[in-house]
Amino acid sequence: MSATPMLQLDGLKKSYHGKTALRGLDLTVNDNEIFALLGPTGAGKSSTLLASAGLIDLDAGRVNLAGRDVTEADPATRDVAIVFEGFNLLPVLDVKDNIAFALRSPEFREAEDEISRRVGRTAELLRISHLLDRDVGTLSGGERQRVAIARALVRRPVMFLLDEPLSALDLKLREGLRAELRQIHKHYQSTMLYATHDYHGAIAIADRIGIIDGGSIQQAGTIEDIYRFPANILVGKLIGSPSMAFLEARIEGGKVVVKGAAQSLPIEDFGTVATTSGKVVLGIWPEDMEVGPAGVEDASVGTIYAVDNRGFERAIQVETSAGSFRKVVPLSMPVTQGDPCTFRIPRGACFLFDVESGKRISQMGEGSN
Amino acid sequence: MTNARTSMIDLATRWLILGLLIVYTIYNVGPIFWLLLSSFKSRMDLFSMPPKLFFTPDLSGYQSVFGVGAAKDSASAVGVFDSLVNSIIVSVSGTALAVFFGTLAGYVCSRFNFRGKGDFMFFVLSTRMLPPVAVLVFYHLMFARLGLADTRFGLVLVAIFANIGLATWIMKGFFDGVPKEVEQIAIVNGYTRMYAFTRLVLPMVKGGIAATAGFCFIFAWNEFAFASILTTTQAKTLPVKISAASGATGIEWTQICAAGVVLIIPVLIFFYLIRKHLLMGMTFGVLGRR
Repeated sequence: MSATPMLQLDGLKKSYHGKTALRGLDLTVNDNEIFALLGPTGAGKSSTLLASAGLIDLDAGRVNLAGRDVTEADPATRDVAIVFEGFNLLPVLDVKDNIAFALRSPEFREAEDEISRRVGRTAELLRISHLLDRDVGTLSGGERQRVAIARALVRRPVMFLLDEPLSALDLKLREGLRAELRQIHKHYQSTMLYATHDYHGAIAIADRIGIIDGGSIQQAGTIEDIYRFPANILVGKLIGSPSMAFLEARIEGGKVVVKGAAQSLPIEDFGTVATTSGKVVLGIWPEDMEVGPAGVEDASVGTIYAVDNRGFERAIQVETSAGSFRKVVPLSMPVTQGDPCTFRIPRGACFLFDVESGKRISQMGEGSN
Repeated sequence: MTNARTSMIDLATRWLILGLLIVYTIYNVGPIFWLLLSSFKSRMDLFSMPPKLFFTPDLSGYQSVFGVGAAKDSASAVGVFDSLVNSIIVSVSGTALAVFFGTLAGYVCSRFNFRGKGDFMFFVLSTRMLPPVAVLVFYHLMFARLGLADTRFGLVLVAIFANIGLATWIMKGFFDGVPKEVEQIAIVNGYTRMYAFTRLVLPMVKGGIAATAGFCFIFAWNEFAFASILTTTQAKTLPVKISAASGATGIEWTQICAAGVVLIIPVLIFFYLIRKHLLMGMTFGVLGRR
């Protein structure tokens, strides 16, 4: 994949009525990639997209789009298309005119026969040809979102900005449309910035992911990179299903001691560690954590606090004296709510984070990557 | 046994409610019915006791209100036709302008942030809180000095001032109900905000505009305090005229009653036409987001 930047955001700052939405946000989206912006509600996802489209006035920062500084440029001249989560269609127009909307604007006007050709082709791609003459009020949620995506697609903009485009839909529709978006991406070789709070949706669709919280990008990269080297506690909390387990720990005498746990881990296991003593947070992906029945030797003790049955597997929540974590276990493992259990932290699979800043303080093998 | 007694109580309750409703209806509709009957009565029938339910209709009242036939030029004519014309001009143009400016102001207050927006919105609302009587004398002096006293133009200005606050607030509520994504989608796709406002947003709030216009029209049509102080002969509106319609032969009750009926009709028509939007205007406007 080529790595020419399509969108570069540099130090974006924005606050609304004294509430900070963007806190010096930097982000690069490459040409022909789907970049997912993953973060909780209020993290600054929508503001990032609106700023890229030029729909909000920034307090500071530069926006570079397709090799051009568009910070001061009019939204209409940026040639981006945007799809919003909920309300999308213009009720005063029918489906056909909604899709053709952009092609009749002063900026992107096309001849009428070209419009009907393109509307027809786009509708076919999104399988909504049978809806073209309908009133938008009569469409279902999934159909509406298809029409909204068709309206964005019909113009072939330099970039798509998708603000939670599938979040209002139910799971099955969401999965179907997500696959279609990937198809469209492949077909058109388009660049997409896809904002979502849905972890599964983000990793399913994106080439790269940016974890956003508190108005800035916490970490950006492929999901594999983020898994291997999570930048801070926030990233660990937003990535994974279940997300990263965090346990209270202390460094003393060259060992990492997890609070109340039987094990202590030699500090060499964590690679280079920035500090040599004091409190730290130990992070571990739940997949790496070993959980077993009570009575296993050399293991620490916890309690099964909650059990979620997922049909083919179970998600359990384990309470320990160092904190609680969630983990998926096979159905073959007998677990009952309230039962004691044991857990063991494997060597060489953990990260250490600073208690105050939340930043990762253990470095392992990053250079060789 | 118990069932029979319950149904007896039920029946009694229903009759009681029905009775109360009948009394309430008579209380409300009675005067209007009396007004309607009286407007067709000649002077003789009007004062006969007991009141006549059946009589030969006399159309002279309506003839003078609408300025047709002989009654218009007779000695007893009190110029209700002229005040009807005044009322229509003042109410229609006052409503149209108040709704026009209120729609623009409501859109700005809904979509844009500017310094002192809260204070501005309160100021706009406060223009409606003021009892007219408190400023009547000031208005009288000001209008006299500006040469606006006893002119239709002056009354149109008053109608605008009196209604623009209400129009701004109701319209802001309706605009708040239109997602801002409508304009954002238009702007990103190469349209201007003006296009989005006039072609996309306005059609979405046309029900709100109708409701606002209804409210403003009724206020302007019924307005009495300002019109009675600011007019003397030329620009008297129908409500003012009715309150003191005396001609060469004394108080013209038939004309007053006919004018009263005419005064009610537009209100009825207006509310009938916008009754669907009205409830929406009351709730939607107030409960609108943001």
